[in-house]
Amino acid sequence: MSTQTFVLPDVGEGLTEAEIVTWKVAAGDSVQVNDVLVEIETAKSLVELPSPFAGTVGQTLVEEGVTVAVGTPIVTIEAASADAPLSQTDGSGAGESHSVTAEADGAEGGGAVLVGYGTGGHVTSRRRKPAERPVTASVGVIAKPPIRKLARDLGVDLAAVTPSGEAGEVTREDVVKHASQASVFRNIETPDWPEVREETIAVAPAAASAPPAPNGVASPFAQAAGRVESIPVKGVRKATSTAMVQSAYSAPHVSVWTDVDATRTMELVKRLKASPDFADVKVSPLLIMARAVIWAVRRTPMVNAAWVDGDADGGAQISVRHYVNLGIAAATPRGLLVPNIKDAQDLNMRELARALEKLTLTAREGKTTPADQQGGTITITNIGVFGMDAGTPIINPGESGIVAMGTIRQKPWVVDGEVRPRYVTTVSGSFDHRVIDGDGMSRFIADVASILEEPALLLD
Amino acid sequence: MTQPEEPELVRILAADGSLAPNPAAEPYLDLVNGLADSDLEMLYRDMVVIRAIDRQATNLQRQGQLALWPPSLGQEAAQVGSARAARPQDHLFPSYREHVVTRIRGVDPIGIIKLMRGLSHGGWDPTDPANGNTHIYTLVLGAQTLHATGYGMGLVFDGRCGTGDLDRDEAVIVYYGDGASSQGDVHEAMVFAASYRTPEVFFLQNNHWAISVPVATQSRTPLVRRGEGYGMPSIRIDGNDVLASYAVTRRALDEARSGEGPRAIEAMTYRVGAHTTSDDPTKYRTSEEEQSWAQRDPIVRMRAFLENRGAPFTLFDEVDAEAAAAADDLRVRTNELGGLERDSMFAHVYSDPHPLMDEQRRWLADYEASFEGGTR
Amino acid sequence: MTTVSTSTDQKPAATAAPASGPMPLGRALNAGMRQALATNDRVLLMGEDIGRLGGVFRVTEGLQAEFGERRVLDTPLAESGIVGTAIGLAMAGFRPVCEIQFDGFVFPAFDQITSQLAKMTNRLEGAVPMPVVIRIPYGGHIGAIEHHQESPEAYFTHTPGLRVVSPATAGDAYWMIQEAIASNDPVIFLEPKSAYWQKGEVDTTAPALPLHASRVVRRGTDVTLVGHGAMVGTLLQAAALAESEGTSCEVVDLRSLSPVDYGPILDSVRRTGRMVYAQEAPGFTSLGSEIAATVTERAFFSLEAPVLRVSAFDTPFPPAKLEGTYLPDADRILEAVDRALAY
Repeated sequence: MSTQTFVLPDVGEGLTEAEIVTWKVAAGDSVQVNDVLVEIETAKSLVELPSPFAGTVGQTLVEEGVTVAVGTPIVTIEAASADAPLSQTDGSGAGESHSVTAEADGAEGGGAVLVGYGTGGHVTSRRRKPAERPVTASVGVIAKPPIRKLARDLGVDLAAVTPSGEAGEVTREDVVKHASQASVFRNIETPDWPEVREETIAVAPAAASAPPAPNGVASPFAQAAGRVESIPVKGVRKATSTAMVQSAYSAPHVSVWTDVDATRTMELVKRLKASPDFADVKVSPLLIMARAVIWAVRRTPMVNAAWVDGDADGGAQISVRHYVNLGIAAATPRGLLVPNIKDAQDLNMRELARALEKLTLTAREGKTTPADQQGGTITITNIGVFGMDAGTPIINPGESGIVAMGTIRQKPWVVDGEVRPRYVTTVSGSFDHRVIDGDGMSRFIADVASILEEPALLLD
Repeated sequence: MTQPEEPELVRILAADGSLAPNPAAEPYLDLVNGLADSDLEMLYRDMVVIRAIDRQATNLQRQGQLALWPPSLGQEAAQVGSARAARPQDHLFPSYREHVVTRIRGVDPIGIIKLMRGLSHGGWDPTDPANGNTHIYTLVLGAQTLHATGYGMGLVFDGRCGTGDLDRDEAVIVYYGDGASSQGDVHEAMVFAASYRTPEVFFLQNNHWAISVPVATQSRTPLVRRGEGYGMPSIRIDGNDVLASYAVTRRALDEARSGEGPRAIEAMTYRVGAHTTSDDPTKYRTSEEEQSWAQRDPIVRMRAFLENRGAPFTLFDEVDAEAAAAADDLRVRTNELGGLERDSMFAHVYSDPHPLMDEQRRWLADYEASFEGGTR
Repeated sequence: MTTVSTSTDQKPAATAAPASGPMPLGRALNAGMRQALATNDRVLLMGEDIGRLGGVFRVTEGLQAEFGERRVLDTPLAESGIVGTAIGLAMAGFRPVCEIQFDGFVFPAFDQITSQLAKMTNRLEGAVPMPVVIRIPYGGHIGAIEHHQESPEAYFTHTPGLRVVSPATAGDAYWMIQEAIASNDPVIFLEPKSAYWQKGEVDTTAPALPLHASRVVRRGTDVTLVGHGAMVGTLLQAAALAESEGTSCEVVDLRSLSPVDYGPILDSVRRTGRMVYAQEAPGFTSLGSEIAATVTERAFFSLEAPVLRVSAFDTPFPPAKLEGTYLPDADRILEAVDRALAY
């Protein structure tokens, strides 16, 4: 025995409601299958509804004279037998069947509709799995589809590009030019010379009233300053200048450099950026450069050495380190810092990327510790971000080599006998000629460049 | 110019069940006399069982289990007689109301239910020998008459008829109604049938109503004259007389299969029920008319005939019980029907592989999987 | 009902294939049908005036004389009847090839084609295939009177269950008609009537392409021109004129209108970045519109310009004296090429 509910069916192909005219049964009546339960009136005609169930009438749920919607329960019957219809409220009747059993919430006619129940009833929507939505490209920028793709491939934000097309659209040249510009030289305002005021001709130490200045130096452009300003040398500026003098005037510096086609590095960086493994960590050419330096160090260990002066007990020594604490020169609000990544040779690509990211963030937040800066064995200085190609950097004291990473921009290059635009960069470096000679430093720079040209060599 | 008189119809069984063949029936009596008691009982049984099934199907629609049901109520004799007249090797093309025709040929009525319930556009496989060469229902009025004629042309071209061997020669019978008889395709089907001398019987059930439009609007001349216009012998019968329906159709099919060309039969009957469960006949016809036809009921007269012949009372109880069981069986099986696999819609659009079907099937699978809890 | 014999039940050719060489497109169709009739005895042709007369365009000339009235039928004058009885014949195991005498006369058969033929196998859940070909001469440029120069392809490409093809050359016509007859699905075979007398090379030794393949017929670098039927010839004319002006056009012959083989088209657009679709049919809701939308979707990042369509105006086909203005010609195509290049 089970209580079955009979709901008002659609008896005429799309009818939405009907009026209960006359009940032919009452609570407690015994009914057979097909016995007439009720007479209803639809928009089309007067219709008798036969019982799908055999059993005892439980309750009539709608009064005579009342109009109800298709799908409304109108009577319950205590069914005697088990061979009742699959239930009119079951969404799997004539609608689509899923390979799983129908959900119970078909009850209100939502979703799949049993034949005879019309399409009335509220609309339901299924919950979608949250999708990874890509960052929407700039709306409101006019650019043809191939240009949008190019911008995306080059990592250029179309909204930041000045369009030069006739219709106001961003052209291919606009995008390429933008990609090759160094980022730091955008949106820089050149301030006016400071006003000269009589009362400020006498120099006042800028400290108290001046706004916080970069590099620990009171801003030479502070409004209250006069024609000449004197700034005391303290803090990081003092440390830096001391170190520079010490290094420059004790180690004989020699610089070598080479240009290289870094297109494959750019492609690798793009692929890594798109890879799920690197989705949560910053990837840039610096990462490849760091790996390149570590790899090249293994082939020319002397660049990773240090000159140790002799003392009363013995002569000078060259201390060759068989590990790499890779220093990264960082321009921070406090000044030039060179924190290093300890044992960088043990890190895999992801770990190295993480370490670079962490180092950069820490430095930017001004939280680099002295320990972070101690014990470095070789350093990379990225002057490419300033748009420079090459330099003759000063070696970090205690080390024998420093590599300068230049800007990577498209230049004409000869490929397979034809001139083509490629991503070209200069790898340069300065070395302590007490420790290493021209052949070694050249070989080292050439090795670093080789990786940038063909990152697959890292598979070695 | 004067019109000929109202054509005679063939009647063997009077409305009261007495055996009263009229003159037009004379040529067919040998076929009736050749029927055994068991054959006569079978004709009765066929009609009673289908009426119960038909009633049950209407109830199923009223219970929300079917979208629609077109009742055959009142037309049992026309359909049973003609279907029993066909030979096993024949090919039958119904319209959409010939439920007992399909059943007699072996089709499981659940197939019709599937059509009416939104589970299929067909419901059975005409090439399966179990279905007795019965084509699926055609809902576009009259379109099947051309298919039947084309099939008949094929029989002629392949020499599958006209040899004189009644047990081998194949014939085609196509069913349609008075409303459909106005469709151009029916006209063209008769043109082609006559031109190619197809072994074909055009069986028109004139049930007097095309939904709400009376047959007088379809034709100002008796419909039986249409066949004559195309050059084919055309007979009118009392469609509620199962013996006439059987005998005339039998003769017509055997003549057609023997190479004498197509024939037409107009069976005068009445659509006792509505056009379909969506229709309301009280809006367009009178209960007097319905009463007058109730007095010419095909089952009542056949029962009276059998009683007069001395059939045992137990026969009728047995038949009633069989009918109730058949109807209930259909009800239970209908209630048990499930749904359709989503991608079945791509399965048979083409017979040969098709790239767009593959593409869209894949797309739908991916789309369904994109929902939480979604399945492929 | 009998089981239908499939196209693979072919007997070896009782008649030798004709020699390869140049022949008019109509003749190539004739030769192709002759091969089909000779190699498969379930194939039959049916249509108005196709037997004794050989067809109003003589495309079926000589075939009734050779194969008899049971294989090449002169039917009564009733298009719905032709297609409807062809359906019945297909049920009885034949492979009927119907001819509708002119494009404008296909409409009486529209229900039998779209409601019956296109859906029959689906309604029978695959039990009975419908290997029926409906040949229709279509298109303009013959100066004919009303209803004899229509382009009804969109009605049929829009109907699931049908396949629609149109050969542009005699070589394709010879093979495509045979492949259409061999298909187990209904095929609407659109014959460009203005090209019936154009001669082309026919290689009778082996088909070059499958039935539903598109093909690049002229290489180029600046713009991709795509079309079907008689328009392919016009596209080639336009390409030649463009070349003299310094623009290099690639031309693709669609061949199959449903399904469309997008491969060669997309490959071309990815190289050129610009596309023009040209058709004799009126443009609104046309086949060209569908192809333009799909190419835009699939080759979006290669497009330097939107995909353009050159179509007939959205009016009924005008009196023949205006057909030169109405139908796209080389100049109309070049105007679109100019617009595409200006982006």
